[in-house]
Amino acid sequence: MAWEYSEKTKQLFMDAVHGKPGTHLGEIENPDGFGEHGSIACGDALRFTFRVKRHPTDPMKDVIVEARYLTFGCTSAIAASEALCTLIEQGGYTPIEALKVQNRDIVEFLGGLPEQKIHCSVMGAEALEAAVFDWARKRGVDLERLGVDIHADEQEEGRIVCKCFSLSEPYLKRKIKELNLRTIPEITNAVKAGGACMSCHHVPGGLQDILDQTWGKEKDRSQIMPAISEAGEGALTEDSSLSPYLFAKQVERAVDEYIRPMLQRDGGDLEIIDIKNALIYCRLAGACAGCAGAAQTLKTIVEQTLKEVVDDRIRIIEV
Amino acid sequence: MRTIYADNNATTRIAPEVYQAMIPFFTENYFNPSSMYEPAQNTAVAVARAREGIAGYLGVNDPKQILFTSCATESNNTAILGAAKANPNRRHIITTAVEHPAVLEVCKDLQRNGYEVTFLPVDGDGNLDVRAFVRALRADTLLVTIMHANNETGVIFPIKQLSRLAKETDPSIIFHTDATQSVGKLPIDLGEDYRHVDLLSFSGHKLHAPKGIGALFFRRGTRCRPFMIGGHQEEGRRAGTENVPYIVGLAKALALAMENHEEQETRIRQLRDHLQQALEQKIPHAQVTGKAAPRLANTLNISCHYVEGEGMLYQLSAHGICASSGSACTSGSLEPSHVLKAMNVPFAAVHGSVRFSFSRYNTQEDIDHIIEVFPGIVANLRKLSPYWDNTSNMPQPNAEDLLQRNR
Repeated sequence: MAWEYSEKTKQLFMDAVHGKPGTHLGEIENPDGFGEHGSIACGDALRFTFRVKRHPTDPMKDVIVEARYLTFGCTSAIAASEALCTLIEQGGYTPIEALKVQNRDIVEFLGGLPEQKIHCSVMGAEALEAAVFDWARKRGVDLERLGVDIHADEQEEGRIVCKCFSLSEPYLKRKIKELNLRTIPEITNAVKAGGACMSCHHVPGGLQDILDQTWGKEKDRSQIMPAISEAGEGALTEDSSLSPYLFAKQVERAVDEYIRPMLQRDGGDLEIIDIKNALIYCRLAGACAGCAGAAQTLKTIVEQTLKEVVDDRIRIIEV
Repeated sequence: MRTIYADNNATTRIAPEVYQAMIPFFTENYFNPSSMYEPAQNTAVAVARAREGIAGYLGVNDPKQILFTSCATESNNTAILGAAKANPNRRHIITTAVEHPAVLEVCKDLQRNGYEVTFLPVDGDGNLDVRAFVRALRADTLLVTIMHANNETGVIFPIKQLSRLAKETDPSIIFHTDATQSVGKLPIDLGEDYRHVDLLSFSGHKLHAPKGIGALFFRRGTRCRPFMIGGHQEEGRRAGTENVPYIVGLAKALALAMENHEEQETRIRQLRDHLQQALEQKIPHAQVTGKAAPRLANTLNISCHYVEGEGMLYQLSAHGICASSGSACTSGSLEPSHVLKAMNVPFAAVHGSVRFSFSRYNTQEDIDHIIEVFPGIVANLRKLSPYWDNTSNMPQPNAEDLLQRNR
């Protein structure tokens, strides 16, 4: 996949990896706000921290003066982190005002993002939100009373829809509305849900069902064909008069009584890998393993003995 | 800036000799090889010669068993779907978890249509368990389709042994191998040690011929229906006017690959091994995937922990170095490499994988340049990573656990 990044995105990424002055790489010690989003298993993760200039009496008048990030992720994830910190610092926002910075502001700042990379900007907005919630907790600000939706326990209590990225139904419902996501690819691009194993796309309670619940059902959606399994088991070769179990027992006994003692005299052994009717899959082990005459030994000693003792239809296959 | 091309498992540069050999068939020899007039006979002869040449290099005595297609994906589709169509009484297919999508997705499609498919697992080195293969063989097994060499890791599967086991069990089982990464790189003799293989796919653009030409070895008597119908070409087994210039190019490319083959392979292996050793030494917390398995001489797949592949590729590209990654961000989906996952490479390490793959056009200078810049690129990204502690220049204390954890 070729890079379709804007010049701004490429510039921010290169500045960041080369530690250019003015970039926001790092982590603030004892931050006033701390937020994380993503995980190493999901392929990208962002740790966002900010420091405020505290107002002596009213925490609502705290102003964010410094923002930093650490990011594990692709080019656009790192550029989006830079964009987030720049936007927040330049805005001179209070933390509550900072909540107004949305993923689309990050996209705009970057001069656009390829569709499949939109989730990088969403990750920035999520980490910012988490950091503001952290600030509120530390400063004793009751966000709910201020009318801020804090999606309490959303991840813990909701049913997990996308197992690959651990995304719950309430979270997905909220994001579908917030970001106006209309199709499964749009959901995947924005929050990654359904982007890996894809098994949550069309199952009951899956992404399409959630989309239908949110926006109303679309007509003519094709039904998923149920998997049919009709393959049967049967004989591989001619029928053996014994049951497979008894046949295998007899082979084992013959190997133990006649064949192993012969091979063990030379420090060798026989490993049976499988028995399918009259086909016996085996290989020489111990000192006989890798022996140039292995095929011959199997044919003359093992096959002949088993033919005589158990059944003359037996055929040895060297593994 | 000089381009260092180290992505030869994706595609290769067209050899100048191949290009030269093709030109007459774009200019004066443009005729349809099926036409009756005399000039057309020359193009028909060129196609026949190309077919003979390719057959010769693969140990095929009857050249008509080589079919020309448009790409390896078409060859794979033809082999798998054609075998299924021709053997309606059997419903079981054996393949592996690490196939190229051109095989894996076709098998999954058959699975959705009622076939039973066994996806054999691989171990941490990338090797198949031959015992598991034997146990998977069934009375209703219609097809075994297993790749020869893996495109991502270069790990080689024991096709000689596997095809023999399948045929000794039941000669009606069709054995197909996707040899896209191995033709021209590994010796293959379809008349001798590979005589149990019925169908073998490969393409031109992995061996310095252009994109748009593939081939399918089709052993006479194999029960397999054609995929493209509507013409008598290739004895009706693949309809469509022959792509004459590209067919000529493919034959020339294979001839070049076979010239000084051993010498070239040794040289490429030395380059790869040199790069591998240098990177292992200079980059802490990195692992080479498939290192302990039989492996193509040209492939190096290395996972750098705690960093993401796309950021590495982007910076490599800024230095003129072309490579690829199994990271989710470069796959076009959000799923990281299914091959590395099947090998139980930890999730986080898969995201930090980079594949370098070389050809006879690579030089020691290329390798030196990669060694010079790549460790710095990894270090730069680790500075940004929340899983890396910059003071000690080590992973964060809890990061090792995160790395080992799978979903």
